[in-house]
Amino acid sequence: MTQSAVTEAPVTGVDPPAVGRDLRRRWILLAVGLTAALVLPWFIYPPVAMDIVAMALFAIALDILLGYTGLLSFGHAAFWGSSAYVTGLIATHYGVPFPVAVIGGAVFAMILAVPLGYLSVRRSGIYFAMVTLAFAQMVYFIGYQWSDLTGGENGLQGVPRSFFGIDLVETDSFYFYYAALPILLLGMWAAWRIVHSPFGRVLMSIRDNTPRARALGYEVEKYKLIAFVLSAGLTGLAGGVFAINHGFVALTELHWSTSGEVVLMAVLGGIGTLWGGVLGAFLAVMLADYLASSGFHGIDLVTGTVFILVVLLFRRGLWGTVRHRWLVRQQRRTAAAGPAER
Amino acid sequence: MTSKRMWAGASAMSAVLLLGACGGGGPGGSGGDFSGGKLVLAVLNDQSGVYKDASGPNSVKAVKMAVADFQKKYGDKAVVDKIEVTSTDHQNKPDIANTKASELYERRGADVILDVPTSSAALAVANQAKKNKKLFLDVSAATTALTGAQCNKYTFQWAYNTYMLANGTGTTVTEKGGKKWNIIYPDYEFGQNMSKSFSDAVTKAGGTVQGTIPTPFPNENFATFLTKAGSTDPDVIGTMQAGGDLINLVKQFNESGLKEKGIELAVGLMLITDIHSLGVDQFADTMFTDAWYWNMDPEARAWADRFLAETGTRPTFEHAGNYSAALQYLEAVQEAGTDDADAVVAKLEGKKINDVFLRNGEVRAKDHSVVHDAYLVRVKKPSEVKEDWDYEEIVATIPAAKAFAPAEASGCTLS
Repeated sequence: MTQSAVTEAPVTGVDPPAVGRDLRRRWILLAVGLTAALVLPWFIYPPVAMDIVAMALFAIALDILLGYTGLLSFGHAAFWGSSAYVTGLIATHYGVPFPVAVIGGAVFAMILAVPLGYLSVRRSGIYFAMVTLAFAQMVYFIGYQWSDLTGGENGLQGVPRSFFGIDLVETDSFYFYYAALPILLLGMWAAWRIVHSPFGRVLMSIRDNTPRARALGYEVEKYKLIAFVLSAGLTGLAGGVFAINHGFVALTELHWSTSGEVVLMAVLGGIGTLWGGVLGAFLAVMLADYLASSGFHGIDLVTGTVFILVVLLFRRGLWGTVRHRWLVRQQRRTAAAGPAER
Repeated sequence: MTSKRMWAGASAMSAVLLLGACGGGGPGGSGGDFSGGKLVLAVLNDQSGVYKDASGPNSVKAVKMAVADFQKKYGDKAVVDKIEVTSTDHQNKPDIANTKASELYERRGADVILDVPTSSAALAVANQAKKNKKLFLDVSAATTALTGAQCNKYTFQWAYNTYMLANGTGTTVTEKGGKKWNIIYPDYEFGQNMSKSFSDAVTKAGGTVQGTIPTPFPNENFATFLTKAGSTDPDVIGTMQAGGDLINLVKQFNESGLKEKGIELAVGLMLITDIHSLGVDQFADTMFTDAWYWNMDPEARAWADRFLAETGTRPTFEHAGNYSAALQYLEAVQEAGTDDADAVVAKLEGKKINDVFLRNGEVRAKDHSVVHDAYLVRVKKPSEVKEDWDYEEIVATIPAAKAFAPAEASGCTLS
């Protein structure tokens, strides 16, 4: 899927060096995004707003693999969920401030990702997707069976939200949003840094032409593994905040449908674009919330239909399409400026 | 404009917004003695899955009946004019119940949450009730943890619990000769708690439990579990499944040939809708414990007739329990003159109640368990059925004091 999309749209995921107007546009976009993140809980019920941002980081983390490395992981619920459980357990048993618990969860997700990634990255395409799905199912069943620790079907209930004894943050989800937001924004910044670094360029070259990257001397498996672990870590960060936000961890977080949901978000927004994950998460969470409060029971039916429409009409995803138009325009401008400059 | 200035501008703007946010957050102020100027009763239950028939949309109708009766009784003297009933589907999932409960209390101004089948979901709601300091009157969830280890000041268990079911059914069946048991239970809070309560009751009555077999929840195929349960030649297989799961299991039990081998099926929790779905012939002569039966006396029957006119079906005890919980909550609010949770709890605690559902009922102050008479019933044979929904015969009434465990044994310390 990724491969063919890439051949037809060579500009996807490769940011040309930004100059002048484009650089300015990028800053404006960032300002708009940050503002939106800051005012979100004013307009949206704060726990839902928190879900949107956590899911956005989740989708971005997945996109490091899907959009930038060309690996469709269908098992990211394993990292999301295991971090949620570890975060919840740390918060419950040690009573540490929640950011510490969240970091503990993220570290656990990264540790878990090392063996899983090591075994998965040897395959690509559909085989990679299936292997990651299989591992995630194993993690799910461990979570299900080890009910002394995880609570099994009952879930991990009453996860505390301690934050240096600041009562407002601990009890009011509105203030909690602002306390947890920096963690997630930091995660997003890290994702941006990863894909815009030389390391990120190597990932893209692996995606676009693996044999050539190998021929150039890059140890492809090693790069893929590092990308996998980093992606798992960011996923873990998001999963941990999600767990604290709800004060509850359920088996749903480890279930394969969570893996599917995040792939849907990433594709909806547009893969290979970091903003796409944000937009996809926003739409998916808002849609689910809206449908749930309207008492409608066919949530999956609607999200499925939207997904099909987006895939049919906007092949690059919503944000991907917008971005593609910009890039095409920019290329035309460069071309019009005359070949002499090149 | 350079990017640096742009960046500075963006951060300044964000900072201003952030400061503004800190000033304006939090829920709006309350008006008078009633938050938001109205009383909101929220029914949180299964509107689409295995427990839909047992409570589901008809419980919402039962609560609406209670509101209408309250308004009719007090008219202009009611302390609050505007009473809303709202409902939400929790799909029997504890995480969804957790989110929805928090949403109901915080976002939709619910003063009380009612019903909540699925014990794991109910425990999550109890946590939210404690956190938000708002009431939760559990009707359909049976785990004793709600009034035991995990009890709290704002949570009440209105209709029944696993001790009541086990004490009635487990003891009776064992004493009648079903000494060797194998228990099949859904692997979540309710089933785990039921399995424990039944094991205790069976052992106490002189029987033995050979094994307990957990199954996924919800589940469709019980064949393997039944085969495993039958393999040790027990006298009784006790199923702790409920609702749609129970219907599946009973069908498969009847087809499995275990009955022909002389193995009896004991049902932990049975609702009249389950009997209705499968037909009395499938359950004929089964003994079980019921919290209420629609045709047990003229008062219950009169209400059941109204319910029939409203919904087209006869009520389960969970429907009647929801009616009772809503009505008594409204009475307590009327007495307290406010929807303030602490004031309402104070009015409810220790109250002795007799209504359509509760007989010799008492809201125990120590553990917030609502104790009342329970009934040992037998499912009628097809030949005994005289009208639609005429399925149960009450064999014995278990007085409130015996039906529920003493408060001292609950392990609850209210906080």
